[in-house]
Amino acid sequence: MVSQTSAKFEESLKERPKKRPDKNRKLSWLLLAPVLAFFALLNVLPTLWMLGLSFYDYTLTSYKAPTFTGLTNYSDFVKNEQLSASVSRTFIFLILAVIAQTLLGILIGVFFWKNDKMPGRRLALTLFFTPMVVTPIATALFWKLMLDPTFGVVNYMLTSLGFSRTDFLTSSTLAFPTLIVVDTWMWTPFMALMTLAALGSVPKAELEAAAIDRLPIWRQITSVIWPHAKFILMLGILLRSIDAFKTMDLTYIMTNGGPGDTTELIALSLYRFAFKSFKLGYSSAVSVFLLFIAIALTAIYLYILNAKKKAEQTE
Amino acid sequence: MSRSLNFKPSNDRATKITLTFACWTTAILFFLPIAWIIATALKPKNTVLDIPPKVLFVPTLQNLIDALSFSNTLSYFINSIIYSSIAVLLAILVSFLAAYSFSRFKPAGTDFLMFLLLSTRFVPAAAFVIPFFQLFNILKLKDSFLGLIIFYTMFSIPFSVWILKGFIDGVSTKFDETGLVYGAKRPHIMFKLVLPQVRSGLVAAFVFNIIFVWNEFLFNFQLGGLKTYGIPVGLFTSITKGGQVDWSFVASIGTLYVLPLALVIYFFQRYLLVGLTFGTVRGEV
Repeated sequence: MVSQTSAKFEESLKERPKKRPDKNRKLSWLLLAPVLAFFALLNVLPTLWMLGLSFYDYTLTSYKAPTFTGLTNYSDFVKNEQLSASVSRTFIFLILAVIAQTLLGILIGVFFWKNDKMPGRRLALTLFFTPMVVTPIATALFWKLMLDPTFGVVNYMLTSLGFSRTDFLTSSTLAFPTLIVVDTWMWTPFMALMTLAALGSVPKAELEAAAIDRLPIWRQITSVIWPHAKFILMLGILLRSIDAFKTMDLTYIMTNGGPGDTTELIALSLYRFAFKSFKLGYSSAVSVFLLFIAIALTAIYLYILNAKKKAEQTE
Repeated sequence: MSRSLNFKPSNDRATKITLTFACWTTAILFFLPIAWIIATALKPKNTVLDIPPKVLFVPTLQNLIDALSFSNTLSYFINSIIYSSIAVLLAILVSFLAAYSFSRFKPAGTDFLMFLLLSTRFVPAAAFVIPFFQLFNILKLKDSFLGLIIFYTMFSIPFSVWILKGFIDGVSTKFDETGLVYGAKRPHIMFKLVLPQVRSGLVAAFVFNIIFVWNEFLFNFQLGGLKTYGIPVGLFTSITKGGQVDWSFVASIGTLYVLPLALVIYFFQRYLLVGLTFGTVRGEV
């Protein structure tokens, strides 16, 4: 008897949204239509185009008509040592930069968190946050000016401290670390922002209780902060990784991949294939590869986001 | 200092003073490179390359005036303003419709479409340059405002949909239902009942999409042309002006570019988080 009524109840629940099914369904798609049209024209079409191109031998500058070569571009890409070197260089860049930004960002974020009523906090945060909204093109130019070997201010400070004049961007040992430093300058504020948000997601009462109980600091972190803060922090780290993986404008202007190919990151290689050597088929294959990485990263990102939602609902 | 360490905002006076000092020092250190650029722009041209660098000088606006009156500079700024504002407004309008649909009707494939929209922001831009380049050539959209506006509308849609859906989800469906009961038409419900309640979502979407479009370089460079180049291209070409690099000029353009951004960060600080996480994380700083 009970099960019967509950079955009926469930049925009635299922029926409810169907009250005016046709009208709402039509309307829902009508409202989506403009976005879908944009998406089809400017995402689906280019993606399919790119996928198609990737199976062709197609170089803009040659007289040869595009010829279908199947997976040749992909196997060339896998075999190309320069490209796989730039992929692994990109990952090294990503790991070092993101670790530095995360550690520094957490430290600074905690400072600002603990000092929530400091005088001029908004202005201080504005100064601190500005680097991350400046386009990498501008950042690259600014740092190029400051790092200039003859009249840059950085070299002036180095020489007045007794160090020798250094050309950071053309030194094969220093160019790569310099890029990491500049990227860290740009994006530490972002990780500090995420730290502030992550700490904000911890219930105030739990923070109070932990402080009153005089829990040792590491216990506070592992059993009070981390269970709440981990989601936003992880989202931040993932977003930074995705962005670091895409780094192009910065290297393009500051070093153009040089000296040699010591700062050649994958996005820049890709750009060069397309617009310096005009190998459209080949660079499309590389693009498809990057597209898959992006989709995988998006899936991880949404997975964490859903875990966060679930944790918030059970609270 | 027997006080144990904790993550509560601090009330202790000595700690507060130390922290204030640390926070301000950090903020100033991070801003120093930008301050240096602004200082370079304000220095008299003949002292820019002085060694040791002049820290004290009589500021002049001459470089900024020169930069603005140099051939294309003003048009870079105007172009950026034209295509970014039109594209972002258009994107917000169509995104609001879509977000309302996603939030209220949950049509089949909602999650998948939201996923696809987000993933477009995660692909390296260079991957899409070729197909766009060819598509724009075929459609004769290169170096046209129409082309750039269409492109930047798409560019702004993912973030707008994500952020607006989040905000509409937060508005109770009771509003819609009550409206329907009283015989209101759907457009009335959407624009008169729901829209006013997601105002901060609209502001955040507007401000941050403007920043993203204002900052976008690669597609402006490849799909635009002399008629339609924006500020990032202006910055990029400033370094190649004439034979020798004119740092006063580069710094002036950089200053004109960076000041509005700093103001936006000051006035819209509370939207920064949602802006930089593409609408996926909400909260205030």
